[in-house]
Amino acid sequence: MADPSRIENHPRIGGAYRMIELKRVTKRFDKKLAVQDLSMTIEQGKITMLIGPSGCGKTTTLKMINRLIDATEGDITISGRSIYDLDAVQLRRSIGYVIQETGLFPHMDVFTNIAMVPRLIGWDERKIKNRVDELLHLVTLNGSYVHKYPLQLSGGERQRVGLARALAADPEILLMDEPFGAIDPINRSRLHDSFLSIQEKIEKTIVFVTHDINEAIKLGDKIAIMQNGNLVQYDNVNNILYEPENKFVEKLLGHDRNIKALVLKKNKDYIVTTGYVQVHKADKPEAVIRKMEEKGKRVAIVTDSDEKFLGLFALEKSRKDPQPHLSFIDNVVTVEKNNNLQETFSLMIDAGESSLPVVTEGNRFVGAINLEDIFNEFKKAQED
Amino acid sequence: MSIVAYVSENREQILALVGQHLILFSVSIFFTVIIGLAVAIAASNEKRRDLGRIILTITAAAQAVPSIAVVALVFLIVGIGMRPAIIALFFYSLVPIVFNATSGLMSIDTKTIEAARGIGLTDRQILWNIKFPMASPVIMAGIRSAATINVGTATVAAVIGGGGLGDLIFIGLKLNKNYIILTGALLTALIAIIVDTFLAIMERRVTPKGLKLGR
Repeated sequence: MADPSRIENHPRIGGAYRMIELKRVTKRFDKKLAVQDLSMTIEQGKITMLIGPSGCGKTTTLKMINRLIDATEGDITISGRSIYDLDAVQLRRSIGYVIQETGLFPHMDVFTNIAMVPRLIGWDERKIKNRVDELLHLVTLNGSYVHKYPLQLSGGERQRVGLARALAADPEILLMDEPFGAIDPINRSRLHDSFLSIQEKIEKTIVFVTHDINEAIKLGDKIAIMQNGNLVQYDNVNNILYEPENKFVEKLLGHDRNIKALVLKKNKDYIVTTGYVQVHKADKPEAVIRKMEEKGKRVAIVTDSDEKFLGLFALEKSRKDPQPHLSFIDNVVTVEKNNNLQETFSLMIDAGESSLPVVTEGNRFVGAINLEDIFNEFKKAQED
Repeated sequence: MSIVAYVSENREQILALVGQHLILFSVSIFFTVIIGLAVAIAASNEKRRDLGRIILTITAAAQAVPSIAVVALVFLIVGIGMRPAIIALFFYSLVPIVFNATSGLMSIDTKTIEAARGIGLTDRQILWNIKFPMASPVIMAGIRSAATINVGTATVAAVIGGGGLGDLIFIGLKLNKNYIILTGALLTALIAIIVDTFLAIMERRVTPKGLKLGR
């Protein structure tokens, strides 16, 4: 994705390019100090989360990057060039900007919203149309959305359109100011997953402001923790979680930081393929029961011949109610192979199960995850 | 004598008065809209929030000034005739336009404006592409009420020699002939209804589709 000519004057740091550099940046509003002597390097292609309590200067810092706010002292460079040598309007057109859902223009349809920046910089209409189609596809909205208006969209859809608009002119950098703040927790988690899979494809340099530590841990490659206009700790997520700089960071992470850390682990790394009984829908009940008794299991996983997960067959139930065909419970909690361990853990607690079936695309059964293995993860963290 | 008989006997004279009335209305409203919107644009600039608030307070209070007072004041300064009448109408109908347009332009969510600035719109592009379309229903409502007030108030202009349908009303009063008063009043009302209907249609047409959905 990176255009080498644009980064030729980038010193490399640990295999990553410095994209944005804040050099001793201070911002004062009248007498009030919003950001104090802040220096940080934001790496190319990474998601950098700015987090802290309200008034800590995180949003001010973000807005200084696209010059919605000008620094009082210090300098900010993008690809080695000072942003103060550039025209503010041109600079902003070259940086994607996403804010909470109110950021879409309500009087313009989805197409016009997304086409805004390409039109400002003079793309021809055919190129714009292709780009809008491509972006809608990227954010998993279909073509029928182009003529819809923001008020006709759900919160999550608006946020997807907002992301598409920010990406319209293919900027290297995206600034996101609490973009998922107004979305309910269930949809937010879904948006997080799709945001991460989009970022895997586009590899933009993203600076993301949030006040939600869970969001910061889940989305961030690096986290910058701010307090009273100062940078308290700036490190990768693992180091933040396991080596908090001080009491303030510890408090921000909460008592349950081990549970929070589970969000970094993927289900697919904890799948086991033994220790359960798997049977086919077409199997005879007596054979299934015999098999389960042999292995000493109360329940069996039922799939069809294509390995599609169908449900669970429970031994006690079938004894009370003997039937010629295999009957199974089909409203069973399952987890997705690519989801994170934290969700799996809380689903287990909710369902009261010490083991959950794992499925992948098309509801195909791939194995199980055991609570025991998650607990071992906690133990490992203690030992470290 | 009935109204119908009176109108048919004095057709030409009445038509001339209708013509004068329309001139009073259209010339004054033309300048009101242009100057009023210019004032509103200047007053609604987010860098000058205080000015906007002052303008809103003044115009809100000014709505309570009776039309005859404005007409009298203009008469004292400019004298009599059609020109002073137009000036008086201009000032009187300026108030609703400035009030509505200023509050409409100022009421747009600061987040929306910040998003526009953040993706690289200039101040001018924000004004014409974002603020104006979004405030257009409120602005048009102001123009509409200014126009209907203007048509009605134009009758008062007859006092200072402005002409128009007000002449009929005052002649009727002097001669104590109800049908002359009624003719003037009904024709004025008719013009007001036509103007209002036209502007109501305009109001609906200028409201961007995306904004109608939320109502």
